[in-house]
Parts: sequence; C-alpha cells; structure tokens
Amino acid sequence: MRAYRALARATARSALTYRLNLLLGLGTVFVQLVALLAVWRVILAQSSVNGFTWPQMRVYLLVAFAAGTVVSAFGDFRMAFRILDGDVALDLVKPVDYQKARFAETIGGLWIEVLLIGVVVGVTLAVTGGVRTPAGPALALFVVSMLLLVPLKFLIVYGSTLLCFWTQNFIGVQWARLAVMNLLSGALIPLAYLPGWLATVAQWSPFAGLTSTPALIFLGRVDVRHGLTLVAVQLGWVLLLWFGARLMWRAGLRRLTVNGG
Amino acid sequence: MPIVEARALTKVFRRPDKGPGLAGSVKHLFARRFQDKVAVDHIDLSIEAGEAVAYVGPNGAGKSTTVKLLSGILVPTEGEVRIDGLHPQRDRMTVAHRIGVLFGQRTQLWWDLPVRESLAVLRDLYGVDHATYRKRLARFDEVLELGEILPVIGRKLSLGQRMRADLAAALIHGPRVVYLDEPTIGLDLAVKDRVREFFRSIRDEGTTVMLTSHDLADIEGFCRRLVIIDEGRIIFDGDLEAVKDRFARERILHVETARPVPLETLRASLPGAQVTVEESEVRYAVRFDRFIMTAGQAVTALAGLTDLVDFRVDEPSIEDVIRRVYSGELVLDETGPRR
Ligand SMILES: Nc1ncnc2c1ncn2[C@@H]1O[C@H](COP(=O)(O)OP(=O)(O)O)[C@@H](O)[C@H]1O
Ligand SMILES: [Mg+2]
Repeated sequence: MRAYRALARATARSALTYRLNLLLGLGTVFVQLVALLAVWRVILAQSSVNGFTWPQMRVYLLVAFAAGTVVSAFGDFRMAFRILDGDVALDLVKPVDYQKARFAETIGGLWIEVLLIGVVVGVTLAVTGGVRTPAGPALALFVVSMLLLVPLKFLIVYGSTLLCFWTQNFIGVQWARLAVMNLLSGALIPLAYLPGWLATVAQWSPFAGLTSTPALIFLGRVDVRHGLTLVAVQLGWVLLLWFGARLMWRAGLRRLTVNGG
Repeated sequence: MPIVEARALTKVFRRPDKGPGLAGSVKHLFARRFQDKVAVDHIDLSIEAGEAVAYVGPNGAGKSTTVKLLSGILVPTEGEVRIDGLHPQRDRMTVAHRIGVLFGQRTQLWWDLPVRESLAVLRDLYGVDHATYRKRLARFDEVLELGEILPVIGRKLSLGQRMRADLAAALIHGPRVVYLDEPTIGLDLAVKDRVREFFRSIRDEGTTVMLTSHDLADIEGFCRRLVIIDEGRIIFDGDLEAVKDRFARERILHVETARPVPLETLRASLPGAQVTVEESEVRYAVRFDRFIMTAGQAVTALAGLTDLVDFRVDEPSIEDVIRRVYSGELVLDETGPRR
C-alpha cells in the first residue's frame, strides 16, 4: 500500500507544476460550459425537448462538466509517451503492479480536478442560481455513481492507451476514444436525444456511466430502483474492464520491443 | 548457484518491411512483410553473486537487448533467464526487489519533482525503511556528491547530475544485482571519473554488477571478467587479465638519455626489442614483449650504456586489445570457462 500511496503523492505534487496550464485549461472549459449553457437556454426557452426543461438541462450540463473533468488531466499522455518511447521499461522493473500503479497516479491527480470543478460549478451556480439537490437515497446513489466514475473512466482511458502497444501512435487512439466517449456517454447531448437503437446501445455500454448515469440520478429522471440498476451496470463494467485491461497488458508486454538503450 | 543465468537466450525483433512514405505504409497494411533482426543469438551466460562483469561490444551488438532480457523487460524469443532462480516475468515483483537497472539514456526520476522527492518515492516503492534509506543516501553521497543536486527538479538537472541521481535511484533499494547500461554516456571526464569510482565502491560492497559500455575505459580497473558480444553472439567470455596477458604483452619504454647514442649500440644491448628514435635524438622508444624481458631489465641494460635522464613505461590498454578484436585484427580463439 505504501508504494501506491507514494505514487499517488508524487502525482499530486507534480500536478502543482502544471497549475498554470490548468489555469489556462480552466478558462477554456469555463468558456465551453458557458457556451453550452447559452445554446441550450435558447433551444429550451419555449418548451422542453425530449422531456428536458431548461432548469434540468442546466443541472445536466453542470454534472456533465464535473464528470468530464474528473480523471481527465493526468496520466494518459505520460503513459502513452512512456510506452511509445520505451521508458515503460523502467516501470517494468519496479515492484508494483503496473495497472494499480497507474490507478494510484490517477487518484493522486484528482485533487486538482476536484478543486477545478468546485470553482467552476460554484461560479456558475452563483451566477445562474442554485440547484435543488435530490433527496437522501438518490443523493447517496449519485455519490456512489460519481465515485465509480473514477475507476471506470480510468479503465477506459488506460485500456485505450494500452492500444499504443499495437498502434505505435497515440493521437489517433485518443481522438477515437474522445469521439466515442463524447457521443455514447451523453457528454455532448443527453442519451435521450440519440436515435432509439443508439440510445439503447449507449445505455448498456461502459460509456453511459461516465456522464449519463450520475446526471440522470441527480436530476431524478430515473427513480432509485432504476438508478440502482444503472449503478450496478457501472460497477459491472469496472470489474470487467479491470480484468480485461490486465489481459491486454499481458498481451501488450509480449509485443513490447523498447528501441534503443 | 549463479545469481544470473541465461540459457540459449535469443531475441528476434520483427521490423515491418515498409516502403518509404505513405504509399509504403498503405501497401504494408495489405501485404504485411517483416524483416527479422536477431539482436541476441543463443547466449549462455552465468554470473555468480558478487561478480563484476564487463559486457562490451560495438554499437548494435546486442548489449542493451541482453540487459532488457536479463531484467525481465523483454520476453525472450527463445531460451530462458533465471535471476536468483526466479523467472523474471512470472516473479516480476520479487525479481524487481533484487535487481537494479540503469539505462544511461533514460531516467527513472520524476521529471517534475526534486531529486530528493524522486528518491523518497522510490524508497516507498521498494519499502525501504527510513533508517536504511538515510544510511544508503549518505554512503552514495560520499562518492556521488548528491547534496547539491537533491533539491533540483528532475528536468533541470544537467546530464552529469542526472546520471549521478539516476545511479542513486537504481541502487536505493540495495539490489543484489545491478545492470548498468552505458552509465557514462555523454558525461564529461570529471563526472566519468566520479561515476567510475562509484562502480568500484558498489562492487566492493559485494553487489553483483554487470556493466555494459562501449567506452572501454569504464571497465579498466573495474572487473575481472570480460564478456565480448558481437552481432548478438558472445565471442569471448573470460578473465580480463588473461586477455591482457595474452594479447597485450607489448610494453613501450620511453627513455630520454643525456647524450645521443647510436641506434646500433642500443639495439645490440637489447636483443629481442625494437628500438626507434622518437621526436628528438636523445629520446628513444623501446618496444618489447613483457614475457621476454621486464621493464627493469630494459632500463638496466640502457643505464649501462649511458646516463638516463627520464623514462616511462606504457602498457596498451584493454581498449586497444578489444578494438583490435572488433576490427577483426585479433581473434580470441577460445572463450573462457563457461561458468
Ligand atoms: N526494438 C527494436 N526493434 C527492432 N530492432 C531492434 C530493437 N532494439 C534493438 N534492435 C536492433 O538489435 C540490435 C542490437 O541492439 P542493442 O541491443 O540496442 O545494441 P547495443 O546496446 O549493443 O548497441 C541492433 O541492430 C538494433 O538495431
Ligand atoms: Mg545499447
């Protein structure tokens, strides 16, 4: 445990180095959020669409923003670079499990992301008015769902980064992942807006757990029983991906060549 | 039982055989063709605990690949590796505690953290207790002078500083075996000397060291065993001194005499040696085989002829010998005992 705590701490500290980048990033996401809010406000000004009213959409976008910011700033670039460059060789001679080590690093970077979410959500609420938090059980379920989102997103990012062993290229993989993630998670638009069959696929995919699930639970658009099912799906994917990623890692290692010294 | 053991160790790299440019890449997608490169070719090697081994060979010989195989980073195409009897992939965690690896061109320091914190993370990774950690750090500091670099952020280190910090990083957990792959690459002479002194100090503490270098000055005075690899094959494995004895028997005595002496006179008094005039007519070079005469005998013979002002004996370095092996000028016919 001490080893993984140390790794988490190391990332937590290095994160400070990038505070300027993060500040710039903060500006960008803030502008993005404001733009999305403005657009939906116009669309939903007259009447609700697919059952979403403007006040609901505002909350949805805020939750989506929070969910999108968690596990987004650290790890994947560094890990991909280390695989492509061969520095992963040095990770292999450490007495830690590679996957757990990367997860620990992700956890280490969380604090700065949470801080960022706090600031942006706080400012937005101050400007556009507060939100109604759901009742006890739904709130608890929301919290669980947000917590599950951390390993879930980590595993999706981690698994796709492992593809670098095969593709020898990270940017393509990252773009593909972002496209799929944005569409199927409900980060761009709620899944209810997708064509029926696609919405169904998305709902059962691991991606729904990245935005849609916590957002729907928070909004009360699903009752607690349905919410439990969605969270169970999240949990199921976390377990499945955790072991799936291990298989991938093992297969990837056999392909590892590490050019140069 | 040897601490490092490799049997018939082989690594074949498959390189895509692609035409140039995008067209080549697209064509490769449909007609996949590969070129096999045998980087390490059926190597047998065993290293006893406490041994210091120099692993040398020209660029591209397969040294780094061997190190990666011996540390479990790469999976062998054929053959196997045992570290302390353990399988480096199957027992990765246990093996990791017992080995330390340094790749001269890579760093294991955290780029954004001061060296002190990087080392502390490694301490926790390996579960080293604080007292031991402090003791080790203090000992490394004696030779590597870490003090001045501990507060420096990883990415701000100069190459020499980085290498010193990386050496400490590779050894902070007290590994039983260390592989040092090109640990002096790119360093200036002063740092090289310090780093070489460090190698000797860890060797003297009983750590098994495998030192890979193309800078042969690194191995002089460091180890007794020499392994030479060329094109993936071990072409020599034996005693370093024995190589020197056999192939570096020539000595050169440089003398300066008080007065010029005719060459014929000198040659007559030194049968079996070659005498030549050097830059001035009172300086001579005497080449002799040290098994035929000693430097003392040569000096005595000359002193009987004239007054000597100064003299100096040069021995060829192991560097010269190995360079002759690389160039094919010298063939080391028998590999030493395969322990
Ligand atoms: N990842 C790789 N893919 C393809 N060929 C490689 C790879 N790594 C090394 N090689 C080739 O294998 C040979 C041995 O390389 P290496 O072990 O790095 O040599 P050395 O360390 O002795 O200079 C070289 O010809 C090199 O080009
Ligand atoms: Mg090399």
